[in-house]
Amino acid sequence: MKTNSISTAVASALLLSAAPFTFAQENSSLDIGRLAIAGYGDVSYIAQDNLKDDQGNAVQNNVQARFIPIFLFQMSEKIHIESEIEFSTGQDGETETELEYINMHYYLNDNTIITAGKFLLPFGQFSANIHPSWINKAASTPGIYGGHGGNGSLNGVTTVMNDTGINVSNTWNLGGAGRLFTDFYVVSGPRQEAGAHGGGVEFEAKKGDNNDSFAYGGRVAYAFLPEWEIGVSYYTGPYSNDGDLNYSAYNVDFNWNGTFASVRGEIFGSTAETEGEIEVNGEIDEFVKDFNKNGWYIQGAWQARQLGKAWLNPVELVLRYSDTSSDFDGSVIEEFDEDAGRMGSRVYYGVNYWLEPSAVLKFGAETTSLDNGVNSDDRLFLQLAFGF
Amino acid sequence: MKLTQVFLPAVVLVLSTFTTQAQHVSDASLVAKGAKVYSENCGRCHNARPAEEYSKKEWSVVIPHMRAKAHLTGKEALAVEAFLDSTLTSDVRSEVKGGSLENKVQRSGADLVAQFGCQGCHKINGEGGALGPELSGIVARKGQEFVLKKLTNPKFNNAASAMPKFPMTAADKQAIIDYLSQ
Ligand code: HEC
Ligand code: HEC
Repeated sequence: MKTNSISTAVASALLLSAAPFTFAQENSSLDIGRLAIAGYGDVSYIAQDNLKDDQGNAVQNNVQARFIPIFLFQMSEKIHIESEIEFSTGQDGETETELEYINMHYYLNDNTIITAGKFLLPFGQFSANIHPSWINKAASTPGIYGGHGGNGSLNGVTTVMNDTGINVSNTWNLGGAGRLFTDFYVVSGPRQEAGAHGGGVEFEAKKGDNNDSFAYGGRVAYAFLPEWEIGVSYYTGPYSNDGDLNYSAYNVDFNWNGTFASVRGEIFGSTAETEGEIEVNGEIDEFVKDFNKNGWYIQGAWQARQLGKAWLNPVELVLRYSDTSSDFDGSVIEEFDEDAGRMGSRVYYGVNYWLEPSAVLKFGAETTSLDNGVNSDDRLFLQLAFGF
Repeated sequence: MKLTQVFLPAVVLVLSTFTTQAQHVSDASLVAKGAKVYSENCGRCHNARPAEEYSKKEWSVVIPHMRAKAHLTGKEALAVEAFLDSTLTSDVRSEVKGGSLENKVQRSGADLVAQFGCQGCHKINGEGGALGPELSGIVARKGQEFVLKKLTNPKFNNAASAMPKFPMTAADKQAIIDYLSQ
């Protein structure tokens, strides 16, 4: 049913656009290629002397390496395929593999792109555009995004989000420097996390869906080139196995880019409907309650090249503050404790040394303080990141 | 769910009425436009990546990937490609030593600055982009030697420079320096 309607959409997209357009390939004076291999990789050393896991055991300092190739195929002027695969060293030295995305772009016309497959959701900035390590100016993720490289003791509002479905992206030229960017997507949607997490929400795209319902979302952004971009994102979809409980999230992002500095930030909130039981006078009452998580971060970066001293040209300073909170009060199910307890604030200080436009050596220090007062951590990072 | 079955094709139908056809043309004004689009967009998420990192063929595959990320129009993406390609034109580069250009009329500094799209990335007399620093008075401030070195190898003082290594002759460089000294 679900695949049906997606394939209907894709088929009609192809049909509608194939007829009226022919390609001007023969007039081209540009060299057209077919395959390009790009991607990124990193090696990180993380010192986290006072970090404890959930059982209170010390977590060892670790060295981590990742290799993430991107394969880009140009099938024709209108159709591109892209895929990204992540290879990393896991906890026990084994190699972990993960399909980050595999999708097809269909360039419908001058300002519309249809993407089908597994893709990074255009939700906020970090997840879709900033998380590759040569792009992310810090060696860790903003506090609101868990996962992907480890988030220490802090639990994010969500992880980097990818999913399977279809996205329609548009660019509207508002004249001069003004642009309107829109993305709207239908994807298979979040699912209920298995195991002890109880009502946890999971985003990893998997084969098939747990419930027969989609999630919808989109981002609308206004850009004033080259300096400003402000975006608003929304996402909603049922996540429980019975399809009764809903998950929704919003995000407001802004970016400012100057010649020597940049500032970016995101505000992020999510609401998961959760079921619970409460015992009142010996009777069990069931209830559904919203469980909210909120957070934000702001990050500034400054290039010392502004000072005009040749030896400072490759140096960049980074400062980031993140804060997360939740309305967990113990009244829902116990399993949320793990998620909800780990909210707090985090400061990251970094010095980057650029070796190439896409190769950087990052030195970082980070302190996290959790609202519940326990399990705070201080981490030191040394990371070599490169895009190729 | 039924809604999507109807909705998506409808969206597609509406959008397709606004279509324009992609064109592949390459000329000097397209290169200058490409430099501007590059400067305004390619440093928004990550350090701008200079042209010489990829071959023309590779750029033709990478640019559509970035067209999607950066929300460029097809025309803008094409202009960026034309700009990147123009700096990778090896036939121009190989003419530098051979002197085959000698019989040609030397282009003026102003023409070269326009042709290479310097103002896509730099302000000159208040006009131009902001990816690179302002160039007015640059020769007076930093000296001829410095500007000559920068034009010959933009990475000489900054390994992360986005500035392309332009295919230009010694006479071209001198003409640009003279123009920037005014
Ligand atoms: C909206 C953010 C954004 C903008 C704007 C942007 N890029 Fe990227 N770029 C990315 C991301 C994210 C990646 C990493 C790709 C990945 O990991 O999926 C990337 C990767 C690249 C790569 C490495 C090769 C590849 O395709 O992965 C090159 C080269 C590149 N960008 C050039 C450009 C150019 C040229 C422009 C201007 C037209 C540009 N970028 C604008 C986000 C952006
Ligand atoms: C694609 C963008 C781009 C184009 C086009 C470009 N530049 Fe640059 N240029 C830069 C950037 C970015 C910097 C600053 C980073 C660095 O130090 O390399 C720079 C730095 C410079 C500097 C050194 C300025 C200083 O104060 O240190 C000079 C001189 C210069 N460019 C001249 C030129 C000239 C002349 C042209 C045209 C032939 C040109 N550039 C075209 C991006 C560009």
